[in-house]
Amino acid sequence: MKLLEKLKTPLLSLTAIGLVIIIVALATRPRATEPETANTLNVLNWTSYIPSEIIKDFEAESGIKVNYGTYSSNEELLAKLVSSSDGTYDVVFPSDYMVDLLISKDLLAPLDHSKLPNEANLNPLFLNQPYDTANKYSLPFLLATTVFLYDSTKLDRLTSYKDLQDPSLVNNLVLLDDQRIIIGAMLQATGHDMNDAHADHLQDSLDFFNQIKPNIKAFDSDSPKTFFITKEVDAGLVWNAEATLAVEENPDLKISYPAEGFALSMDNYVILKGSRHQDAAHAFINYLLRNDVSQKIVDEYPYLSPNKSVASLPDAELTQILENGSYVKNVGADIKAFDKLWAKYK
Amino acid sequence: MLNPSRVTIPRSVFMRFVKSPDTPKDQPSLFRTLFTLPAIFYSVLLIALPLLYIFFLSFMRSDNYGGILYEFNLENYGEIFDSTYLSIFLKSALIGLATTFICLLISYPFAIFLRGVPEKRRNLIMKLVMVPFLTNSLIRTYGLITLLRKNGVINAGLMATGLISEPLSLMYNNLGILIGMVYTLLPFMILPVCSAVGKVDQNLLDAAEDLGAGKFHKFFKIYLPLTLQGAFNGSLMVFIPAIGFFFIADILGGGRAMIIGNLIKNQFLTARNWPLGAAFSIVLLGITFLLVKAYKKIGGNLDELGGG
Repeated sequence: MKLLEKLKTPLLSLTAIGLVIIIVALATRPRATEPETANTLNVLNWTSYIPSEIIKDFEAESGIKVNYGTYSSNEELLAKLVSSSDGTYDVVFPSDYMVDLLISKDLLAPLDHSKLPNEANLNPLFLNQPYDTANKYSLPFLLATTVFLYDSTKLDRLTSYKDLQDPSLVNNLVLLDDQRIIIGAMLQATGHDMNDAHADHLQDSLDFFNQIKPNIKAFDSDSPKTFFITKEVDAGLVWNAEATLAVEENPDLKISYPAEGFALSMDNYVILKGSRHQDAAHAFINYLLRNDVSQKIVDEYPYLSPNKSVASLPDAELTQILENGSYVKNVGADIKAFDKLWAKYK
Repeated sequence: MLNPSRVTIPRSVFMRFVKSPDTPKDQPSLFRTLFTLPAIFYSVLLIALPLLYIFFLSFMRSDNYGGILYEFNLENYGEIFDSTYLSIFLKSALIGLATTFICLLISYPFAIFLRGVPEKRRNLIMKLVMVPFLTNSLIRTYGLITLLRKNGVINAGLMATGLISEPLSLMYNNLGILIGMVYTLLPFMILPVCSAVGKVDQNLLDAAEDLGAGKFHKFFKIYLPLTLQGAFNGSLMVFIPAIGFFFIADILGGGRAMIIGNLIKNQFLTARNWPLGAAFSIVLLGITFLLVKAYKKIGGNLDELGGG
């Protein structure tokens, strides 16, 4: 008994030290090198963007094992790519301006178009976009646009940003909680380009926005559709997929495109330069480009698909959308002006 | 022997490490030292190092694409004095002060009531105060939406009873933020205030009563002066999180109000300006540090801040 008492302290201490050593060892040990076969693929995609069954189907069909990770913003993707070693990821899905940035940082591998026969399924309207003019590095995956969503039992029409200033809408609007998108919309509303960082033009946008401000109930990017489904608001500026899902819940809701212009956000397939699974990466992209697979994706996440066979909109309408909308562009140091303005908006 | 609080609270461990006044002589100090290793390891690796990194970052420059340019400069700290940011600091302080004040208003009557409750029931009530801690605060905040929204439980109930004809705006405004902050932070005020009020000597109260003091007098002449430390302790633990809880401002304020927490979050996530975000964080730390200093100055016990 006495002996046990005497040993208690050292024993406990040793256990504690042992635990620390084990934790340190586990935390710092080099990643167990997985067998580097051609049969694995590391994919990093937006959260909720591809139904998980599609990944399973692809694995079953191709025999390639997919390690699937997610991110929730382009900035998070960039941080993950920059801080990981080469070859950690193979296929990722950056938006327009981030494709541009990844190209300029020399992080992307050129696509081998001969390995992508299903590319023929793409509507040429979606190709050769300004951020990658000849589709050397990227192919379009899905297109998001901002749209007006409004309750047609409360509002006759909503076509222009000016309509948002209507005093009858007081405390009845939801806008995306996204500085570049909302400031961009206000720039468009005042006749400027959405990437224009000229101080006077930014001031114009602020003045216009201040007329809308009393009508705003909330800024929300996570699930603005909820505001419509619970009848919390009558109108708003949201992403097209959210709007479509809200209409499915409540057929009184209507969708329209802002006349002065709106935001486009195209997500793209790209393959990273450091990828050691180029063949598998191409096979994966080619699989997602298949007509039936593309259909399954938009069934669940109703963005605009660039796939010709997926019933979306007639070409004339798509042309119009691509012409009237603009992409968010990298604005360099002007991002600070946007950020400060956003604090003033709120 | 195995006192868990000594293992998990780094500060008291450090205190013991530096000078251990009550260490029994027969305990080998080497083992004591080794025994504190996990706590030291935790403090250094997960608190001190990241803080040093943030401090270092705050003097760097952003490359506008989420990267960092390693050029020493003080511009980030200059930015803080921009009127746009100053007004956010002011707004945060107002929200923090209002939250603290409301928490105090609720806690004192509660604490005084609790004094008169038999101990067994008192323990049960205190446990109930702690129960919400078992759920993640983000989830609880989302839960509040169900209660507070336009056709939520509260509005629907009031409308059904005919007390109101139009739904009240309980959220997506400053009121929503205050409700969320008070709800989330109230236990941090109740615990120290109850502990301080509980320690007030009953003889003093009896004497006051014998001399004809009313409730009002008893509160301002006895309770309040004797429990100031507890109140300040609670105020610190309410005010500091209140200026940083960006998710409450986002969810219940509808993203319309920015507090310091939102500002810092935006720098890291959307503006891609980590150095500026780091500078804001350092300022927030500075405020915290000053408040803790003030607490110490009025004679507050730092161990009590650690939840002891």
